[in-house]
Amino acid sequence: MSENNNSGAVSEVKQEPVPALTHVEANQEGYRWVAITAMLFAIGIILHTVSPNVGGVTPNWTIAMYAIVINLTRPPLKRAIGIGFVAGLTLIPSSKSAFPLGNIASELSGATCCCLLVKAFVACHMGDWRLTPFITGFVSTFVSGSVFTFILRTVLGLPLKVWIFAMLPVVAVVGVINGLITFGLFRPVKKLFYAQEGGEEE
Amino acid sequence: MNSVVSVSDFYFKYLRSELVLKNINLEIEKGSFTVIIGPSGAGKTTLCKAMTGIVPYYSGGDYAGDVKVLGETTKGKKVSDLAMKVGLMLEDYESQLVSLTAGEEVAFSLLNHGFPPEEAEERTRLALEDVGLPGRESYQLDELSGGQRQRLALASLLAVHPEIIVLDEPVSAMDPDGGESLYKLLDKIHKEHGTTFIVVEHRVEFVLPYLTNLVAIKNGEVAVQGKCEEVVSRIYEDAELRPLLPELWQVKCSLEKKTGRTFKLWRSADEAAKELQSEGFGKGVRA
Repeated sequence: MSENNNSGAVSEVKQEPVPALTHVEANQEGYRWVAITAMLFAIGIILHTVSPNVGGVTPNWTIAMYAIVINLTRPPLKRAIGIGFVAGLTLIPSSKSAFPLGNIASELSGATCCCLLVKAFVACHMGDWRLTPFITGFVSTFVSGSVFTFILRTVLGLPLKVWIFAMLPVVAVVGVINGLITFGLFRPVKKLFYAQEGGEEE
Repeated sequence: MNSVVSVSDFYFKYLRSELVLKNINLEIEKGSFTVIIGPSGAGKTTLCKAMTGIVPYYSGGDYAGDVKVLGETTKGKKVSDLAMKVGLMLEDYESQLVSLTAGEEVAFSLLNHGFPPEEAEERTRLALEDVGLPGRESYQLDELSGGQRQRLALASLLAVHPEIIVLDEPVSAMDPDGGESLYKLLDKIHKEHGTTFIVVEHRVEFVLPYLTNLVAIKNGEVAVQGKCEEVVSRIYEDAELRPLLPELWQVKCSLEKKTGRTFKLWRSADEAAKELQSEGFGKGVRA
């Protein structure tokens, strides 16, 4: 052992001045977000499959899950687009709509919008605001649902009024439900995935 | 001194906590079997993580000072790269197991570091032999007992031939026989490979026959460090650290204090009984 001041002796507890500390962001080598995204997507797909349709309204768990992921990991735009693309793909097999591929375009729009919104909140120093998950969950779902129903309306040749007065209100209701889900799950999920970073293990 | 880990003026706090480590200055001697003791919450686990680069570069937080492993600073190093030099087995070793079979588990880090499959296979075989699990490559993880899974985690570390192995309370969930058996295995590896071991241990009696150096941590600071022979009596002087010493050494220090004599550093009850009898401490002394 070295010949320093505590070698072989119980050191006196001295209150030495703490030097300036360097801040380091957690660097989990870039893969943790993959695990978080995959796990939440898996949960979202299961819930999406088993959730009953009540009065024509079903929460879109997949959107809620990627809204949570984007709020949690704050990914760059390219990654958010990738998340949206994968989310769209996961929805295709279980889709009961007339045009399942529309999910890709709608989830790309939803995830992109969510990412930009989160970035805007962070830029305004409101990234940790309690209502940010609700707002991003609601807006992402509304944007995604609007794009999806617009594609559906175009494919089916429905009048514009049907989209505006029949479809969009339902999308808004689903948006509110999704906003509440995102809001309700965000903190527990954050606690679960980032529990080790608060020094609780010591 | 030829040190393999050198921690200098190191301070650290997690993202949402107070300072966990304060002014740590520590040298770990090459080839030593160093045991870190300290009360709960003293910062032992965090210190282990600092030696492997997990703290602060993976966990995040605020730090000052430097940690050098084999002469190189951990700053800017990937945890996976440092793992080739210093292996860490956490108290919750199950969380480190990621594969389906024992062979895949041991080969995982080797293949991820680009070792050719033939070499990975050979190293896997040898590492499993080293930990007493020969020929278990194809065993599913759930076919192994808790103790065997712990040995498997150890084999995963050994396979990359690290010069340093850090273990955080490896026997905390084991019965006395399991604890003794694991430390016998560690001692064998220590002697055969010359690996430097750094072990956080609450139950020092298990490691008594093998440890060469002691580090005592209190309130996030290194209170004592050095060769056992030099520091045991100093630790005994500290009321907070004294209960962390094995009973045998507490008896030794107490006797030395009362009689003014100096005894050898007993590694077993037999050794203690023998010396006490030879010193005329009553014929009734038995191990």
